[in-house]
Amino acid sequence: MSTTQATYGTWSRPLKKTGLVGFLTTVDHKKIGIGYAIGALFFLLVGGVEALIIRLQLMSPENNLVDAETYNQLFTMHGTTMVFLAVMPLSAAFFNYIMPLQIGARDVAFPRLNALGLWCFIAGGVIVNLSWFFQAAPAIGWFGYAPLTSKQFDPDIGTDFWIIGLQILGIASLAGSFNFITTILNMRAPGLTMMRLPVFTWMTLITSFLIILAFPPITIALVELMFDRHFGTHFFNVAGGGKPILWQHVFWIFGHPEVYILILPAMGIISEVLPVFSRKPLFGYPLVVFSGAVIGFLGFAVWSHHMFTTGLGIVATSAFAFLTMLISIPTGVKIFNWIGTLWGGRISFSVPMLYALGFIWMFMMGGFTGIMHSSPPVDAQQQDSYFVIAHFHYVLIGGSIFALLCGIYFWFPKVTGKLMDEAVGKIFFYTIFFGFNLAFFPMHILGMTGMPRRTHTYKAEMGWAEPNFWSTIGALILGVGIAAVVLQVIYSCFKGKPSGNNPWDARTLEWDTSSPPKEYNFGYTPIIKARDQVWENNHGTDLKKMDKIAPDSHGIHMPDQSWWPLVVSIGLFIAGLGVVFHHQTWGMLIPFIGGDSVISLLHITMPGLLLTFFGIYMWALEGPGGYHLHPDPEELKSAIDPKESGHWE
Amino acid sequence: MADSSTHADPLEELKNTNTGVENKKMAMWAFLASDCMFFGTLISTHLIYRKIYPTVVDPTAIFSIELTGFSSFILLMSSFLMALSVSASHKKNMKSLRFFLFGTIIFGLIFLGGQVYEFSHFVHERNLTLSSNVFGSTFYVLTGTHGVHVALGVLWLASWLGYTYSKKFKWENALDIETAGLYWHFVDIVWIVIFTAVYLVEYL
Amino acid sequence: MKWLTYIWIGILLLITGISIPQCLNTAGEGSFINKTGQQSTLDPQGPIAQNQLDVFYVTLWVTLFLFITVGGALAFATWKFRVRKGDDPDFIPAQSHGHPLVELGLVVGSAALLVVIAIPTFSGILLKDQIPVPEDGEVIEINVTGYQWWWGFEYPEHGIHTANEIVFPAGKVVKLNLKANDVIHSFWLPKLAGKLDLIPGRDNKMWIQADEPGYFWGQCAEYCGDSHAYMLFRAVALSEEDYAAWVVDQQTQSVVGEADYSPVNFEEADKDLVLKGTDLFVQNCARCHSVDPNVQTMGPNLAHFGSRTSIAAGWLENEPENLEHWILHPDKVKPGNFMWKGFPDPYNPKGPPQMEGLKDANLTREDAQALVAYLYSLK
Repeated sequence: MSTTQATYGTWSRPLKKTGLVGFLTTVDHKKIGIGYAIGALFFLLVGGVEALIIRLQLMSPENNLVDAETYNQLFTMHGTTMVFLAVMPLSAAFFNYIMPLQIGARDVAFPRLNALGLWCFIAGGVIVNLSWFFQAAPAIGWFGYAPLTSKQFDPDIGTDFWIIGLQILGIASLAGSFNFITTILNMRAPGLTMMRLPVFTWMTLITSFLIILAFPPITIALVELMFDRHFGTHFFNVAGGGKPILWQHVFWIFGHPEVYILILPAMGIISEVLPVFSRKPLFGYPLVVFSGAVIGFLGFAVWSHHMFTTGLGIVATSAFAFLTMLISIPTGVKIFNWIGTLWGGRISFSVPMLYALGFIWMFMMGGFTGIMHSSPPVDAQQQDSYFVIAHFHYVLIGGSIFALLCGIYFWFPKVTGKLMDEAVGKIFFYTIFFGFNLAFFPMHILGMTGMPRRTHTYKAEMGWAEPNFWSTIGALILGVGIAAVVLQVIYSCFKGKPSGNNPWDARTLEWDTSSPPKEYNFGYTPIIKARDQVWENNHGTDLKKMDKIAPDSHGIHMPDQSWWPLVVSIGLFIAGLGVVFHHQTWGMLIPFIGGDSVISLLHITMPGLLLTFFGIYMWALEGPGGYHLHPDPEELKSAIDPKESGHWE
Repeated sequence: MADSSTHADPLEELKNTNTGVENKKMAMWAFLASDCMFFGTLISTHLIYRKIYPTVVDPTAIFSIELTGFSSFILLMSSFLMALSVSASHKKNMKSLRFFLFGTIIFGLIFLGGQVYEFSHFVHERNLTLSSNVFGSTFYVLTGTHGVHVALGVLWLASWLGYTYSKKFKWENALDIETAGLYWHFVDIVWIVIFTAVYLVEYL
Repeated sequence: MKWLTYIWIGILLLITGISIPQCLNTAGEGSFINKTGQQSTLDPQGPIAQNQLDVFYVTLWVTLFLFITVGGALAFATWKFRVRKGDDPDFIPAQSHGHPLVELGLVVGSAALLVVIAIPTFSGILLKDQIPVPEDGEVIEINVTGYQWWWGFEYPEHGIHTANEIVFPAGKVVKLNLKANDVIHSFWLPKLAGKLDLIPGRDNKMWIQADEPGYFWGQCAEYCGDSHAYMLFRAVALSEEDYAAWVVDQQTQSVVGEADYSPVNFEEADKDLVLKGTDLFVQNCARCHSVDPNVQTMGPNLAHFGSRTSIAAGWLENEPENLEHWILHPDKVKPGNFMWKGFPDPYNPKGPPQMEGLKDANLTREDAQALVAYLYSLK
């Protein structure tokens, strides 16, 4: 049934589909998606613990649960972890698993590149967090403003861990995005025009464009910072003529699109879930798609609203204020369209729907405080205070996290073939909802009454004790809720009741596969006749029902597994670690037995790079390979023979 | 097409995508878009610091515009040779393919040699290092990054040249040569921009 | 399961219910949402802060309006179109795809609301950025320098250097020139104005004005390292006469001279302690702290320390026990503090300090008390 060619000489390709080898060499977008999800949920808990320690420290004035240095490391790592290691990879999990199914593809355009993304994510996440184990976590804030990050003010290696970790994570994101763009533009099923794409797939595409255009600036900024720290350049070094404000500009040219990278996938998920549980199509589909594109485009034009208090001058301040206000319009349009979807529908309150409704409400509130920030006079008081912390947690937790949890509950049956208990899920939803609001609403008050952010503690006479206390209580409740959801996910993987193919009577193509989908996703090639194709199949007219073309006699072509993405990632990991530790002693890297000699770039970085290049060469020489599978005949009922179809296969 | 009796040209088969552009080429275009932002950031940094500190160095006293002009011409010619290699690969002309690939590589190496000479001249005779001043920082990182791109390109093309001697080489690999060609042309265009914005503009 | 859900929601509501009055009516002043707290932006005492609060209220009303209308529509739709008991489970509502006219109307409406915010926004930008030139041409100019983790204030017209307590006349335009000595800081005096950053290598300018004489608190609002949380400052607005008197006081030397750091005025009864303090000061402190109001060195100028209201950059009230604690254990008050660990050598940050701190000075409690007596004599 399946034959695999041995690759280059005697080095045969891995064949085992199960077990450790199967996982380490997988190129299956579904397994890779699950890998991203497991990694992301793990780091979500790590970032959550960091947050809880922060909140416990702030629970009462002049507290000293952790010292100031540790506290500063905690908020730096919390931000970095949540943005790069939790929300982005969780979005990537959905891009990977769901998008190819939604477009009727068998996998992404470059399966091995996809695996590289996963392993680079793990490598980057490990490097950043390795800093804890060397008691050298960075304490620079998640946006690392110069010149605090210079060698002069930050002589330890924490910042180096941060720089290298982020660079490797950047490779992961870029690799994924090149793949998704190519897949979505080139590998859609016949008849699936762009305007019939599910909104989630559209958001995947737009987010991928944002990533490939926004990550290069931060890559350069990090390179420039590294050069300042290690090679004596003067990009941000004031004594040599450098301008620290340049860091801010380049960082936020990345940073602002980054927040749209964090929210657009979430909006995509909500745009899938609301129609399903309202039993109506998305209201104003073309405008929702167009708004997403406009937000992506304008997202590159507003970065200096993070710099309103740096003294940009009247012209720049006014221009960025104007553009920032402008971007609230397409955002508002989406909210109106979601409400329009609900209107006239038949709404059922499943757990995903609760998260989706919660999203609209919470994101709206975060959007309101965002509108306040867009006005520089108002921002002058709000910037760098707890008011901003309230704003971005409303859009990131109330927005992104709610949507990602919604996605987990919504697609869990498809991924595992099992159901998550609705009643239990609802209890956890309310826990998270209340805990979140209790944790973050008081922060508006704290900000308005003058509490700056990133502060280890505060004086008792400021009157900030009560809101901080209750915020901590809320954070603890929220933490319990999130942990509970993660536990429910794990439990349901083993003990959930069988779900069937389409338990929600959902609308898009992924629901036409088995639960979980077969390795090859679709036994037939679908011929798409409408948006929301599965809905049309189940409830629509014959004219719009999907056609199915059976595969030809060769069967379905599947990509071969490979070791090389893992090898390349390990090479990058070693090379990166070598850069972090160069000029440090071996004793620092390996305590007790390392000794005092200094590590040079040749010792660790060079071998790492050689391994990387070796991996790339073997990858190239191996070629995509491939084998053929024959689908289950059950799936091909009513499929048309390819020779009679007139369509290509 | 699904009919196995007529074997379609494998290169044409690869164009059976929704857009008609092969996957590899599409991905390369996406990569080049990101590389634009990459170099854009570096070039902007250089220009911004030139504007803030116009007199920290006098580039016209440091640059040898003749040498750099010559290097630029060499790189431009290498792009021409690359285009000829791609054309040869489409015509399935192995001898020409190898010859023009080799030519591209040699010209690329001459360009890199020029860069190395230029850098060492600036360091030793003109006292311009990475840490001398802001100009040194931005100049070397920008042109150095470009040089690394050229070097990786040379490595890539040399690998393909070697692969043409392997039994596994197929004429479908013309797509790969073309993809490498896209990268090579991009690197050349970036150099034109750098040459203009960093070198020529100083002589106005 | 359902009753469990309801009980749990009830508990959550209860917790939320208890928290609300506590958060809104916080301790201390007991004012609604701590409105008049020390750093509250809701209690403006000057024209800029007043303007910024006014624009904030405009945004608040607009967003409140949106919350009620859009939120209301969301709530209404969710309630009205929900599945009810007894509904036909196979019922499929009309598959409407959109309504372009409604969309257009909503877009135009949102844009209109933004205009409402935009107009006061732009005039607010002008107010903050354009430093007014008063009729009498008198502008008080103060150079503010941010250090890790304290504030230097210089009055160039009067030749005064002071630290951590900024004094100026009420009712007058005060122009601040903001510079940073090391990393980025931010000058935030909420009751008088929104903040502006101090960025090394960049000169920023802002203006403040207090309507009436008063006492205000400020804090650094850009993360600047270990003791960012402890970098506060105090601001004092005085009447014109009081300010003139203050300037004269500040300009007066508080110590005998360059060769003799003993205070000009001190209680005879404390003479021994004060003279002992003078010696200790010269040995341990003078290398970083100047006591000449015309001279600024690496640490805060202490020429008139005795008349300041706070210590350690606004963190502690200026009282003997606090000052003693600050002298003996600066590291415990402000982590990473240079007074304790000394100034690192910028070319070798992990090597021996360029300028030694108090870490190895081994001051005793008696030493500290002598220094306290000395410092309080510098009024």
